[in-house]
Amino acid sequence: MKILAVCGMGFGSSLVLRMTIEDVLKAAGFKAQVVVSDIGTARSEQADIIVTSAEFARLLADRGIPIVVIKNYVDRKEMKEKLLPLLKGS
Amino acid sequence: MASSDELFQLKELLTPAAIRLHVAASDPAQVIREAGQLLLTQGAIEERYIEAMQQALQTYGPYMVIVPGVALLHARPSDGVKRPCMSLLTLEPPVSFGNEDNDPVKIAIAFGAVDRQKHLQALTMLTQLLANEQALSAIQASTSAEEVMHIIAAASPAA
Repeated sequence: MKILAVCGMGFGSSLVLRMTIEDVLKAAGFKAQVVVSDIGTARSEQADIIVTSAEFARLLADRGIPIVVIKNYVDRKEMKEKLLPLLKGS
Repeated sequence: MASSDELFQLKELLTPAAIRLHVAASDPAQVIREAGQLLLTQGAIEERYIEAMQQALQTYGPYMVIVPGVALLHARPSDGVKRPCMSLLTLEPPVSFGNEDNDPVKIAIAFGAVDRQKHLQALTMLTQLLANEQALSAIQASTSAEEVMHIIAAASPAA
């Protein structure tokens, strides 16, 4: 399982996003590789799930990979509610 | 002073000199100029980094408001970052960046990274701070940079 955390440049928001994802995975007992990416690289990077904001989700919609759209990058509750159902289904 | 191969803690990147409170900015561009100027004054960036942050906002849009009321502003290491650095503004009045979910911005944090590692520990501590609504409210109400540093130290204990 590989989860791609995507932001514009891959040096700020996506690193914050990765921390929130890893916290939620750990608390729920899931194991997954969480990789950060800028939006350019995310167009071609292999992944099972993409986590990002609404603007980047639109640019990645045609990849056919499930996308978790996050509003608050540090909200574990939001992440848990949106991300975990996808993991349980896989 | 941390050596070049060390990870930086938040308190090493964000110093009182890089904090300005109750800044009146008319738009996101002015917020970036003010926050960038604090990094420039410390000699941590080249002037072109400020323009690169403006470009990043233009190119990628207001997703940088990653938490309700907080914008995380930055560009790339190759855009003129001399060393890892961070600045913080509280905005009075708050400034709309065009983010439907998280506007308006009350706290703007700008940073410069040299890679994906050296600022990671500081960013981890910042993430803890951003998840702490009480601490964010307290920062908005702060009247001195020292008070902000104290709130940050209490909200994000060193790992």
